[in-house]
Amino acid sequence: MQDKLNIKGLVDARHGKVKPAIYVDEDVYQLELERVFGRSWLFLAHESQIPKSGDFFTTFMGEDPIIVARQKDGSVAAFLNQCRHRGMKLCHADSGNTRTFTCPYHGWAFGLEGGLTSVPLEEEAYRNNLDKSQWGLIQVTRLTTYKGLIFGNWDESAPSLEEYLGDMAWYLDGFIDRREGGTEVVGGVNKWVINCNWKFAAEQFCSDQYHAPYTHGSAIQVLAPTPENKADGKPLGDGQTQRPAWANGLGGVQFSENGHGSAFFFTEKADANVWVGGEVSNYFRETYPEVEARLGRVRALRLAGHNTIFPTLSWLNGTQTLRVWHPKGPNQIEVWVFCIADRAASDEVKEALKQSHARAFGPAGFLEQDDSENWVEVQKVLRGNKAQQTELCMQMGIGFEERRKDGIPGVTNHTFAETAARGFYQRWVDMMTSETWAEIETKTQEYQEEIVRG
Amino acid sequence: MDDLTVKAASSAAVYKASPELQHDVEQFLYLEAALIDEHHFREWLDLLAEDVTYTLDTNTLAQVRDRRHGIAPPTTYIFHENKYTLERRVARLETGMAWAEEPQSRTRHFITNVRITGEMGDEITLFCNYAVHRAAKARDHHTFYGTRQDILRRNDGGWLVVRRALELDEFVLMTANISIFL
Repeated sequence: MQDKLNIKGLVDARHGKVKPAIYVDEDVYQLELERVFGRSWLFLAHESQIPKSGDFFTTFMGEDPIIVARQKDGSVAAFLNQCRHRGMKLCHADSGNTRTFTCPYHGWAFGLEGGLTSVPLEEEAYRNNLDKSQWGLIQVTRLTTYKGLIFGNWDESAPSLEEYLGDMAWYLDGFIDRREGGTEVVGGVNKWVINCNWKFAAEQFCSDQYHAPYTHGSAIQVLAPTPENKADGKPLGDGQTQRPAWANGLGGVQFSENGHGSAFFFTEKADANVWVGGEVSNYFRETYPEVEARLGRVRALRLAGHNTIFPTLSWLNGTQTLRVWHPKGPNQIEVWVFCIADRAASDEVKEALKQSHARAFGPAGFLEQDDSENWVEVQKVLRGNKAQQTELCMQMGIGFEERRKDGIPGVTNHTFAETAARGFYQRWVDMMTSETWAEIETKTQEYQEEIVRG
Repeated sequence: MDDLTVKAASSAAVYKASPELQHDVEQFLYLEAALIDEHHFREWLDLLAEDVTYTLDTNTLAQVRDRRHGIAPPTTYIFHENKYTLERRVARLETGMAWAEEPQSRTRHFITNVRITGEMGDEITLFCNYAVHRAAKARDHHTFYGTRQDILRRNDGGWLVVRRALELDEFVLMTANISIFL
């Protein structure tokens, strides 16, 4: 297949080099919408957000507006949020409950299952000749729920979600399958705009443990559970190890596969990060035995670290933040952030989680403020022609990839590495330059076999 | 948020605050705004009661049908602060590593439509609108428009802020972060 945009010349994952034109070029972006967002499994909503028949939640797949709706039989369906008449956006609410979606333009109405049910002046205007069965909403081709998370994919030929996730499911389970009953979204969705390319955010949550000590230096200093940092006589994260997880010297793991990535440090105690409240850290300690029985020691102890499911679904364990980086052109994203709690947790713990979450990771979060600042400033530099041509270094830990023998799956490296970033961009190239899923899978496979030597 | 709306609506009748009280309260709000804009954050903290709450929730878009039934999509916190976390936010700015505020931005607070709506003991309730402009990083400009409910408590001939329940008018926040005090 022709590589008209010379995608392969812009990314060299094997040698850890990226040309930043991939973050600004409009043609590259349009191709991403088609080949990446048009073929990947994308997170749409959490089942807990639409529990009852008629409940709906509106979101995006790439830049396409989407309605996710609970059907009368309890199943879930998703549709392009676009009236089939003149293309008007059908539903303008964030979520709600309804029997029909009625277009504000001319009043065409569609049922929960997407069918065109009513057309104003059908007799006078259409002489009863309109075949309504032909003009239903465009349904998202494939929809799968994985432990409460609803994913959609436009591509009939894409692998199943389970195959797509591969070993990433092991890491995802450590976040959403800790207790009986699974998880739920606590509260609403924090939404805000960052003027940066979507890949900066997705890549960071995929691969970048390295930024944390420096970018978040201020938050770590002022939120550390030292005796001085007390609220109501108790420090934040009361009872936790008095160091950030990344300073404990026990080492850690970075995982990479199929473009996904994850990383964390080993800990000896069920410690979340320093910025969570005392009630939250208590909750993690109290539920540890149950979680260990379900998931084993490594994942039960894992209450920190970052993750991205390619392309745009990211989360942080312990902080309980799940987010989608919706692309809005090459130079902007809209971040949608959800706070995730074990369903079995008490209301008090859920409220404490919601507070801890906003304190650390929202638009005003002690930590997140500084992440967005980095991406925005990189994007500004990339207005320059020379800057767009300048190769960037992505070589951390290159050549040290391995497959572990202790049951932690996938291609791995030390936690401070860019293995997952290289894997992310290799997958991106594979999707951008391949006609079929078979081709994508072969290329990704070859790359992964090549980098784990011996 | 709904709680606040109800209170705003139910206080539609004009409360007869004395001109002296109105003047006194407005001057306090302006002083507070000036301390923030001039980066005298520690002095600003001194104007907050030990039991202060400082909150801002997200906004949502609901369809007519749900609004009529009083149903709205769930919201979440942007700020849910107490004196301790507000002090930690100031401490963060003092580290020299709060990158969203390095180099330091300039802010300007505009406080209008100050309506005192009740007095209870040594506390008064007021509503006001605010606009905050932030200039940062050479050429970035951000504006924040909203309304808020304050509860102030008399203290040594002056006032302390006991509650600040902010609302921000945006649905999707159009700025990358809120690294300032609104």
